[in-house]
Amino acid sequence: MEEPLNMTDSTIGNSAALKSGAERTPLITAENINKHFGTAHVIKNVSTSFYQGEVAVIIGASGSGKSTFLRMLNRLETHDSGRIVIDGIELNADLKHIDAVRREVGMVFQSFNLFPHLTVLDNVTLAPRRVRKTPRAAANEAAQALLAKVGLSAHVHKYPHQLSGGQQQRVAIARSLAMQPKVMLFDEPTSALDPEMIKEVLDVMKDLARSGMTMIVVTHEMGFAREVADRVIFFESGQILEEAPPEAFFGNAQNERIRAFLGQIAN
Amino acid sequence: MKEAFAFLPRSWSRERRSAVTIAIALLGAVIFLWLLAIPLSWMPDPIGPAAAQFAAGALCTVELTVAAGLIGIVIGLLAAFGKLSKVPPLRWVANFYIWVIRGTPLLVQIYFVFFALPDLLPVQLSDFNSAVIALAMNVGAYNAEAIRAGILAVHKGQTEAARSLGLSPLQTFRDVIFPQSFRVALPSLVNNFVSLLKDSSLATAIGVVELMNIGNRIRSASYQPVPVLITAAVIYLVLTTLMTQISGALERQMNVEDHK
Repeated sequence: MEEPLNMTDSTIGNSAALKSGAERTPLITAENINKHFGTAHVIKNVSTSFYQGEVAVIIGASGSGKSTFLRMLNRLETHDSGRIVIDGIELNADLKHIDAVRREVGMVFQSFNLFPHLTVLDNVTLAPRRVRKTPRAAANEAAQALLAKVGLSAHVHKYPHQLSGGQQQRVAIARSLAMQPKVMLFDEPTSALDPEMIKEVLDVMKDLARSGMTMIVVTHEMGFAREVADRVIFFESGQILEEAPPEAFFGNAQNERIRAFLGQIAN
Repeated sequence: MKEAFAFLPRSWSRERRSAVTIAIALLGAVIFLWLLAIPLSWMPDPIGPAAAQFAAGALCTVELTVAAGLIGIVIGLLAAFGKLSKVPPLRWVANFYIWVIRGTPLLVQIYFVFFALPDLLPVQLSDFNSAVIALAMNVGAYNAEAIRAGILAVHKGQTEAARSLGLSPLQTFRDVIFPQSFRVALPSLVNNFVSLLKDSSLATAIGVVELMNIGNRIRSASYQPVPVLITAAVIYLVLTTLMTQISGALERQMNVEDHK
């Protein structure tokens, strides 16, 4: 395992959404993050923390910066200023830091991004074999177990294009889990799916949440947020407008923008 | 060209049928070159008596093509990386190379390597090696464009997925980007390879004893251009046909998505 590259102090404010018994040290800390695309200021001074075992759901209108923020947490997007520290490693231009973080952080994309030239099994085993140097037999065995967990044992030797969208997304989740990440990031994991396939993906994500995985989920699935989230974070114009446990967030949203957003989603 | 070995059992997997097609075509090429002299020797004058020379010439043509083709793939990869590089000088070098090669006649390039290079560098290359270098440099420039297009055709999400799984940039390229871009680039690469086989006839200009050179010799000795040139053309045609068969099978083998 990597040695911690850059220890941080744990003085970041505690979250109202802490699970009982969870550690007080944040697993992920973002401080005063800013990001511009050209002249557009898309992330404005955002600070927040995520804790071990927490399930955080990020919602907001498209263009509010929620996906950009999520993608910064494994540096698929760079931040212009501020500090992001993940499991003691600061994310900056240092490639060693980036690779170390990416080994600990799994990512699930809206468009699945499975490798089309590899079978389902090889999609799942590629990273463990290459990055963790797991022997093929052991990697295959672990992958079979993960694919069984997401209900795809019958499809291990198929190619991605032979699967439905929901099945592909479940493979993508298994592929990320194969690296045994400490955190899983989900970037609108059900937005590209037909309605009848959304449930099978959400069910896998719920199982994952129950198993204690730390998850940060950008989604429009309010039912999922209500049921599974420890904390709901609302993005608006590149800022966090509100973060609260789901009961409080959905129960009595004070902010008019949030009420308007929730009203639109409900319709 | 459509699958020539469609008679293979449908119950076989696509990979297996493609592999068998490739094997048959490769074997066909070897047997063709090996036994070419026999049917040619049955032909009337002026072909029959020169059968062994035609066969040797065809072999030399294939050797030129394979050697230049393999080196040309490497050059093409390097030039494609150069063109896609974030380092400006590498881009300039790659662009300059491609611009010069595509903008000048191949015959000039062959003459340049054979006649002019020894004046500039302390090397004296044989006619065969000069031809291989000139042909490889030439096809490399065209390969570079094909490979570059293939790399650009791979969706950005593939790199993001691979990198976010912790794969290094090199692993990402080798395991994820290259196999997909090679599939896209393959038809163009094969076209370049077929052109290369035909263009290798220009090596006759510096005295390489390949198929066209033999044809010229027999033609001028016999004063019978019609049978001689037809024989040379038919041999080229058989070689290019075998090559497109091999490449077609390769494409089907790698094309996971369009075949069930």
